[in-house]
Amino acid sequence: MSPARTATLSTNLRNMTAVARREFVWRGRTRVYRLTTALLVVVGIGLALAPVIIRWIDRGSTGDRIEVVVGDAKPGIDFPLVLGLLLNAPAPGATPSAEATPAFRVEAASDEAAARARVVAGTSSGLLVLGRSAAGDLTFTLYSKDVVVSRQPQLIRQAASSIAVQDRLVRAGIKPGDQAALFAPPSFTLTQADPSSAASGPSNGEAWVNSYAMAFGLSILLFMAIVLYGQWVAFSVVEEKSSRVMEVVLAAATPFQLLTGKVVGVGALALVQYAIVIVPAAVTLLLQDRIAAFVLGGTGTAGLPTGLSLPMLAVFGLMFVLGFALYAVLYAGAASLVSRQEDVNQIVAPLTLIATGGYMVASYAGTGLIPVDSALVVVLSYIPFFSPYLMLTRYGQGAASPLEVAVAILLLVISLPAALWIAARLYRSGVLMYGQRPTPRTLLRALRGA
Amino acid sequence: MSLVLDNLTKRFGPVVALDGVSFTVEPGQVFGFLGANGAGKTTTMRIVLDILRPDSGTVTWDGTPATAVPRRTWGYLPEERGLYPRLEVIDQLVFFASLYGVPRREAADRARHWLARFRIPEYEHRRAEELSKGNQQKVQLIAAILHGPEVLIMDEPFVGLDPVNVALLKEAFGEMRDAGTTLVFSTHQMEMVEELCEAIAIIDQGRLVLGGPIREVKRASGRRVVRLGVEGDAAMPWLADLQGVTVVRPGHEFTELDVRGCDPQEILAAALAHGERVTQFVIADPSIEQIFIEHVGRAPSEDHHLAEATR
Repeated sequence: MSPARTATLSTNLRNMTAVARREFVWRGRTRVYRLTTALLVVVGIGLALAPVIIRWIDRGSTGDRIEVVVGDAKPGIDFPLVLGLLLNAPAPGATPSAEATPAFRVEAASDEAAARARVVAGTSSGLLVLGRSAAGDLTFTLYSKDVVVSRQPQLIRQAASSIAVQDRLVRAGIKPGDQAALFAPPSFTLTQADPSSAASGPSNGEAWVNSYAMAFGLSILLFMAIVLYGQWVAFSVVEEKSSRVMEVVLAAATPFQLLTGKVVGVGALALVQYAIVIVPAAVTLLLQDRIAAFVLGGTGTAGLPTGLSLPMLAVFGLMFVLGFALYAVLYAGAASLVSRQEDVNQIVAPLTLIATGGYMVASYAGTGLIPVDSALVVVLSYIPFFSPYLMLTRYGQGAASPLEVAVAILLLVISLPAALWIAARLYRSGVLMYGQRPTPRTLLRALRGA
Repeated sequence: MSLVLDNLTKRFGPVVALDGVSFTVEPGQVFGFLGANGAGKTTTMRIVLDILRPDSGTVTWDGTPATAVPRRTWGYLPEERGLYPRLEVIDQLVFFASLYGVPRREAADRARHWLARFRIPEYEHRRAEELSKGNQQKVQLIAAILHGPEVLIMDEPFVGLDPVNVALLKEAFGEMRDAGTTLVFSTHQMEMVEELCEAIAIIDQGRLVLGGPIREVKRASGRRVVRLGVEGDAAMPWLADLQGVTVVRPGHEFTELDVRGCDPQEILAAALAHGERVTQFVIADPSIEQIFIEHVGRAPSEDHHLAEATR
């Protein structure tokens, strides 16, 4: 696949191993590698402990204070109490937790101006003022620093609507005791129109959040691997070039061997670093309940990530290795065109941009800003540069069948030799090119093998 | 088993770096590859090692195209020395040797042997960047020979070495030649060529100017050098009357004459005929330096960077 001198498979393997080994051993010994590994271990454990830490920080808090001025509205109920109950009601589907700190604390206030001042000062997070319209309906004015689409005004608005309806019912003569039946939630089921497509999808809201979060987290890992370790490969190429050691190595090994060896060596180092970081984080995650119980007292109920299934991990593993390899090979090819460390970032910028683009589309698709089944996402999820992110996201959300994943992986595998061929070409003509600006013409000439 | 370069041509954009270069290096020979800077020496070496591809022409070793010859056949000391700056000397050497298939343990043993041989055993565990330039160069040379190549190609191996190390290197050359290694090297130092080489090739602006065994090259030049010493006045005005004789260097001890198209014996006869009392009469071949200047038009140490700068 490289325009190589005749090299036997065993020589290829031997030299790739030698290059990979040097890359792995030497780079693994550097202080930078050890420091980043240590730092990432700390960050990993920190992230795994985040729910516990947040609960620990919140343990003394009594929730956001919402003040209420009832004035002359006379709603006929204990308005602050009812509002508090509605606001703190558990989300549908979630199990209410006895120990959980209520999110809101509703208090009655009489001095509207003073209460507004407290909202401005930040000691209260909102002030709700009641009134009556000419038709006799309840009116609500919320003073807040939030914008209208924020979560808190939305929640208060929902609660206010319920209270307003209840108020109308009372005025229509229905007794509060009979109202409970009226407000009982109806039976409501969401069923996929096409039964076959629902097979792998998450069944309820909570599972959806988990699978989304998991796909999102995994694409962050992938993105970091590509950009961080891809640049290691690039720097390693330029380092050999600027120290002029390249010519010595090239007399002994083919560009293809050098290139693959580098990608394998750095890739292995990346995997080792990931393993070192992920194992303690995973153990922390598994022990989260006990840690929570130890730190917070009582019995914690922090859940395990339910979106992390075995097939999901397998897809991630494949996408990680293949995606990294594809980008790293091209990073190396691009880096061989420059001869100074300062120029590396500039030359690999287009690749980093593509990697970032894929990551961003994936995170938009994950959060629903772009529908996960939109044509853009579906098409991009097959294109090798983007498929590691997008197929992972689609699969994680149950929007892609195993067959689609297999096709994307196959395309990725096919694209690798092509990338290797291009990179080896660039490499061969680039490595002995010093001080030249890589122009489109020189690139073209390099690809033609001149 | 000879190294044959046949009609090599290579262009870099508008610059013709090599224009039909052909020559043959016999096995076991010490071969000098001469040319001014930018003449195409490095490009030729890179093509032999398959680091560059020629636009046309072939390189064969023992009848096999160089691209198909096992890599361990070659050893290469490039003009631009290159070591991994932050890697220990022993690790570099083992790495380079392992690229040629030498087992790691054996490579380490051989590396230690050569480090001792070049009198730098104490640098085994130093990083390359801590070494002086001369010592780096010695490490670089060891990297080129550790796997026991059949052909050792060196670009300016003597540059930057002090006289002691030059002597060490010459000694090592002799040993390798005795062991059957073919040595090809470029240099600007013509006295090295006179001392070490059995055959040479001179290229200028990408073209082969001259090549072959040194003795033949010198004979083929059709020139002799005569050193003539006489008693008393060394001016010898009668020399001007002789056809094909030029005074190269007048002196008290002897006068050096460049002779072409005339028998040196005639000079001796003329001297005696003019009543000179001859104290010294030596007939010698012209020096490689003289031949070089004659063919290239300038001394080998005069730089011209034209082709280099456009590369």
